Amino acid sequence: MHLFFFREAWRSFNAHRGIALTAIFSMTAALTLCGVFLLVSHNAQTALQAMGDRREMVVYLKDEAGDAAVKALRDKIAQYYGSSTFVSRAQAWSEFEQQVGDPELLQAVGTNPLPASLRVKLRPELQNFAAMDTCARQIESFPEVEGVRFGAEWVRRLDTLYATAKRAAIAIGGVVALALVLVVYNTLRLSVLARRHQVEVMCRLGAGDHFVAMPFVIEAVAQTLVSALLALGLMFALQQALAPRLQGLAFLPAPWSVAFVAGAALLAWLASALMLTRILRTVGP
Amino acid sequence: MIAFEHVTKRYGGRLALDDVSWRMDEGECVVVLGHSAAGKTTLLRLVTHETQPTSGSVVVGTFRGGRLSRGHRALLRRTLGIVYEDFRLLGDRSAFENVALAVRISGRFADSEVVPRTLHALEEVGLQDKRFSLPSELSFGERQRCAIARAIVNRPAVLLADEPTGALESRSAGEVLALLLRIHREGAALIVGTTRPEVADALGGRRLVLEEGRLREAARDDAHLPPGAPAWAREPRRPGAEGA
Repeated sequence: MHLFFFREAWRSFNAHRGIALTAIFSMTAALTLCGVFLLVSHNAQTALQAMGDRREMVVYLKDEAGDAAVKALRDKIAQYYGSSTFVSRAQAWSEFEQQVGDPELLQAVGTNPLPASLRVKLRPELQNFAAMDTCARQIESFPEVEGVRFGAEWVRRLDTLYATAKRAAIAIGGVVALALVLVVYNTLRLSVLARRHQVEVMCRLGAGDHFVAMPFVIEAVAQTLVSALLALGLMFALQQALAPRLQGLAFLPAPWSVAFVAGAALLAWLASALMLTRILRTVGP
Repeated sequence: MIAFEHVTKRYGGRLALDDVSWRMDEGECVVVLGHSAAGKTTLLRLVTHETQPTSGSVVVGTFRGGRLSRGHRALLRRTLGIVYEDFRLLGDRSAFENVALAVRISGRFADSEVVPRTLHALEEVGLQDKRFSLPSELSFGERQRCAIARAIVNRPAVLLADEPTGALESRSAGEVLALLLRIHREGAALIVGTTRPEVADALGGRRLVLEEGRLREAARDDAHLPPGAPAWAREPRRPGAEGA
């Protein structure tokens, strides 16, 4: 019986190639648009993650803090906030020397004014502005700590940028999903109307909605699968063309690509299964 | 098996059937006779639930009318075999595929049974040699025989035929009527809608005469017909009856 439905779907595709190809073309356009945005989102996310990985908190220590106190502080930080690296006054000066590079300027500074510090790499769940701000205030209250710095403004901007990108991704994803559903709906309507006589005859012979609808559903899912694969191909071509100019531009990882194709097919299946009964009601006797 | 109780059907302002009541039992043959637009097709469409009565009720087997759901309507139609005047064959598939479609729709048979059942039905109507032909490659008579094969392939308890000979010349019409009669004699109830008294003659059975949407059961004897009854409603005299 299943083979029969697939044969019916293939027969319909062959009989109404114009409608099928128009649907594939429309869906490929909508899915390519969605895919390009997905590609941009993926690369933006990767870039933001790389920047996020560099988020660190610098905890400046008081000069009088002894080794035991520093060790106790590092243990506390490790327990509640994340891993830390100790930077002694000498190391801090050495780094400063490398950054400034001008011996005359360094001579003008005279003695090393830099305090020892801890560079704290916060846990992933604490890498946002609100959490970092709270952590900074808590750590600042420890007696061994002179002050805490984490580039609050930069972190806040990064978070805003990330949230905006996420919202835009959801909005564009929603618009494209709606476009896809509309294309599937109109294609199904055209297909059913083009085969109105067949649907009527089947209904008169006692075919239930499931029997009549199944070939249409298979056809819609198959068209969407082809469209999604074509869209993926177009996106790959675009990425290959732009990669030499935009350094680091990567294609979607395999799980994303699979999810893109499967998501489109699932959407088409849901849309066609839900809407066909409604469409058939307008045609069948 | 089939019962109409005070059924009235209106299409907008036009009255198609007016307070029609009748019933038929298993294995019976009923010929619904009437002029064009008398309401024959409406009556048959009410049996198949392709349309709903404006008032009254239609009972077919265990299906009591009113508004059946789409699922129940489909189930009901699977218990009937229907032959249309315009055949209603699918033009893009062969005679075999047209008949096999009905077997698949019935959902009662395994895939392995579809081919033998279909071939048997085509053999019954004498179309086994034309099984690969498209409807457009068949004569009108052959198309109607194909439609009959499709109607009988699931061995329905009731066979409905709406003007089964309407589009056929006399020889093909005779073949089709003989076929319907044979199927009826094998046990299927038969309801035939027709404008032609000769069809009713050929099939015998009970006559229901429809006139302007009103039904009356025709008596076998012309004397019982009301004065002024149309000629086509009168029972033709059988050969030899005059001498008796």
